[in-house]
Amino acid sequence: MATTTNTGTRTRPGSDQNLISRALSSRGLGVAALAFALLFPFVIATPYALSVMTSAAIYVMLAVGLNIVVGYCGLLDLGFAAFFAVGAYTSGVISTEFDIPILATIPAVIVVTVVAGLIIGGPTLRLRSDYLAIVTLGFGEIIRITANNLDITGGPSGIFGIPGIDLFGLDLSSPAAFYYFVVVVVTIAVIGAARLGRSRLGRAWRFIREDEDAAEAMGVHTYRVKLAAYIAGAVWGGLAGMLFGVQLTAISPASFTFLQSALILMAVVLGGMGSTPGVIAGALFVSLAPELLRGAADYRYFAFGLILITVIIFRPQGVWPVRAREKERPDQGDPDPHGALAKEAIS
Amino acid sequence: MSQLIWNGLFVGSFYGLVALGYSMVYGIIKLLNFAHGDIYMLGAFGGFAVLGLLGGVIGTTSFVALLIVLVIAMLLTGAFGVLLERVAYRPLRGAPRLSILITAVGASFAIEYGVRLVAGPNPRVYPLRIGGESIDVLGARITWEQVALIGIAFALMIGLNLYILRTSEGRAMRAIALDPKASLLMGINVDRVISRVFFLGSALAGAAGVMAGAYYGKIDFLMGFVIGLKAFTAAVIGGIGNFPGAMLGGLLLGLLESFGTQWLGGEWRDVFTFAVLILLLSVRPTGLLGERVTERV
Amino acid sequence: MQSRKLLLAATLTLGALSLTACGQGLGSGSTADGSGPITIGMVVPLSGSSSAIGPYMQNGAQLAVNEINADGGIDGRDVKLEVADGACDPKTAVAAANKLVSSDIAASVGGYCSGATLPTLPVFAKQDIPMIIPAANSTQLVEQKLPNVFLINGTGAQQAQAAMKWFDKEGASAVSLVDDNTSYSVDIADKTAALLKESGGPDLAGRVSVTAGESDYSANVNAIITSHPDFVYWTGYYQEGGLIIRQLRQAGYQGPIMVGDGSVDGSLVQIAGEKQAQGVFATMTQTPDTLTNASGWIADYKKAFGADPGPFSTQSYDAVRVAAKAIEDAGSTDGKKMISALEALKDFHLFSGPLTFTPEHTLSSGGFVILKVKGTKFELEDDLS
Repeated sequence: MATTTNTGTRTRPGSDQNLISRALSSRGLGVAALAFALLFPFVIATPYALSVMTSAAIYVMLAVGLNIVVGYCGLLDLGFAAFFAVGAYTSGVISTEFDIPILATIPAVIVVTVVAGLIIGGPTLRLRSDYLAIVTLGFGEIIRITANNLDITGGPSGIFGIPGIDLFGLDLSSPAAFYYFVVVVVTIAVIGAARLGRSRLGRAWRFIREDEDAAEAMGVHTYRVKLAAYIAGAVWGGLAGMLFGVQLTAISPASFTFLQSALILMAVVLGGMGSTPGVIAGALFVSLAPELLRGAADYRYFAFGLILITVIIFRPQGVWPVRAREKERPDQGDPDPHGALAKEAIS
Repeated sequence: MSQLIWNGLFVGSFYGLVALGYSMVYGIIKLLNFAHGDIYMLGAFGGFAVLGLLGGVIGTTSFVALLIVLVIAMLLTGAFGVLLERVAYRPLRGAPRLSILITAVGASFAIEYGVRLVAGPNPRVYPLRIGGESIDVLGARITWEQVALIGIAFALMIGLNLYILRTSEGRAMRAIALDPKASLLMGINVDRVISRVFFLGSALAGAAGVMAGAYYGKIDFLMGFVIGLKAFTAAVIGGIGNFPGAMLGGLLLGLLESFGTQWLGGEWRDVFTFAVLILLLSVRPTGLLGERVTERV
Repeated sequence: MQSRKLLLAATLTLGALSLTACGQGLGSGSTADGSGPITIGMVVPLSGSSSAIGPYMQNGAQLAVNEINADGGIDGRDVKLEVADGACDPKTAVAAANKLVSSDIAASVGGYCSGATLPTLPVFAKQDIPMIIPAANSTQLVEQKLPNVFLINGTGAQQAQAAMKWFDKEGASAVSLVDDNTSYSVDIADKTAALLKESGGPDLAGRVSVTAGESDYSANVNAIITSHPDFVYWTGYYQEGGLIIRQLRQAGYQGPIMVGDGSVDGSLVQIAGEKQAQGVFATMTQTPDTLTNASGWIADYKKAFGADPGPFSTQSYDAVRVAAKAIEDAGSTDGKKMISALEALKDFHLFSGPLTFTPEHTLSSGGFVILKVKGTKFELEDDLS
């Protein structure tokens, strides 16, 4: 849908592109990022730094989940916070109502988010782009308002007292231990999403994104494949919601507003749709920037808005775009001078 | 019952006015202009500032004063819309559509919190307020001011529609909406037409902002957010990119909200509205008046 | 090779960070305590939909800090106020709370939105930092029975009781409740509805919820009117309250209207219009406006900040004083000792009356009174005693 256009694609000088893509395509970057995440608490382990970093990691998981829907499959989703909410509320309600350890709620979270993905995706996926956008937005609002109005979800103040994580008798509720737990889970989620993106299903998603009619004509069952993207995104979002609930120990509808959905989408687009390192960078930016700008007090969100505009104007494809779409754009002047496009950036 | 219909139509005409700008911009450059609701807010604050400056010169109760302020505010917001397009959207012409969406969200943040920096976070009260005694028409309470505001809203909407259908500039806009490249080849100055579209759309939103400020009396820097979402919804109901559809969508949304509140209670109103929207779109995937085109990306 | 280089780079970056971060990493012990200023933290909304309230609370607290420092501080140590933006958003509020905890605050005196304050409770509780919450008053805050949580604003239940007394006194027979679907507002409405449903006294005519942040409430107003109330009680904030009063009057509702403490603000009268707002009642704790001897306080506030005090300025001012008193009584900034000191506090003088905490850590009496709009101001109508 929105990922390709036939005008105005900018080509940077070849050498630059070559250097960047070599750096990006190396596995080392992921290792370095993980090393940074793991070593970080040895440098700064204040509760504040840990809490901000944990939130950022959860944001990465959300963005990677939404990336499956928007980046891989090209479906605009303005209501991703709905899945986030469904996951957070499912695990939160079950664990507080029935006194069940939080990890034991994972099967329930997966089942409920899959069902939510089916319900939301089912009727809407026949729509295209902007109509789909408003419908997903509508579903996001419906989920939030319902959570706000029901008694089981605690009404507007939400539920509280969500227990910490207890892994086989190992208490992971201290900020540092929980941070490590989240980093491990998010790493698995990121690798999982990237692998999914390169699988047969992932290629079908990208085919649909580039040209849905052609995909259909080539025998791709577009509806089923799109639904799969939706469900995968829902599960990622739901599990991130569970982590979010554990981190905050309390959840309320205020966390799942449209603004939240817009911010997650922003992370995906800002980073570069479909590109795993890009999406991670975008998520880190969107979650860390408001914290880093805390010192700017009144200017905080004003500056945030200006930064967003500036970044996109200078890098319209996102800060870290996918290098390779399956060789395309015949009208592009210099398609691939160094052969770098042949490689997937996400490897 | 007739009260519900009247309330719905009154609110709906505001939604329609804002939705029209939304729909115009979308129709021309396929951008969901998330900052559009904030231009409505800017209009309200622009009118507030103008009233403050002219406070001594014109009376504070007359309808004529409102009209003067309305026109000035429309010019201001129109100019701002042009500026916004020039700074935040034009450099991205041809970039992925979602990227422009992000600058629109960024612009929305910047406008909201920019106004907060200038005007402060507290709600402001409009110095000029209209809204007098109500009369009874077919069981509905109606004020003349409401009638006048609806009149202004419809005059603006119909005027715009005529402009688009009857003038050569309007024809150029429709041409660009259909095929920007071909229009360029046919000698249309695309940039100028797009600027004009932003001017008109923003001016309409600004007018709605001033009218809302004068009628409801309270303005604040976040007032555009909710109405932006509603205008988007209204535009989609009517068929986004379709001008009469935006008006129709606005009125219908107003009615849905009015009846939804009565039937299900205010807390479920938005659930009702969105549920109807989703049902509608599953029956008519391109909205009420939207054209059924197969989309090529 | 590439990967090794990057790994090296990451390690080097971290090394450089660790040099500048002065040993805040895992394994380095906490170094707080002793001399230097005592920091008191405060999470309030400075951005987002409730950002208008934050500065009022911040200024109120700052005024108390200034006064304490002018009197020589606490045991010779100066007091410093550190404010962090919670934005009424749970995630931002938790980050803000963690930021304050990281700056070794002795007590927390913030908390406005109940929904955003709830998840900050365990953050402070883990470090045994006493929280004296000046504004947020959902009963859920104390239902968790955390030892460090104290509310100095009357609870929703206490406010509902005050409202009931006034319905009885005014001879209301059918009351409609209007809330804005936020936890604070719904809490008061729920508690009032429960009281109205008990036999005897006025009946519950209807309940209406509005969505905050909109301008047109005609549909909600219509729903209120069709429930045929002879008394309307709005439990939300003044921004919407002003609009609802105005639209109720325009729609022809003549009966009495009452608002909750979140709506007690001069702006309510302006938004509603002076004519429409006349005679509107409010359930409210004592404010400097209604206290006969508080004109000096208002003058001080104006002098310090060049603006009038607003909602929860007094409560925030009192929260700082309560915190300071606790540190003094405890003789240290040790959290556990301060909590004991707070529990032992007896008849400490606040704007809302003498303070002695109940076993639930709420005010023993809400101190709610009835105000009435006269001219452009709320004035004391009845102290409900």
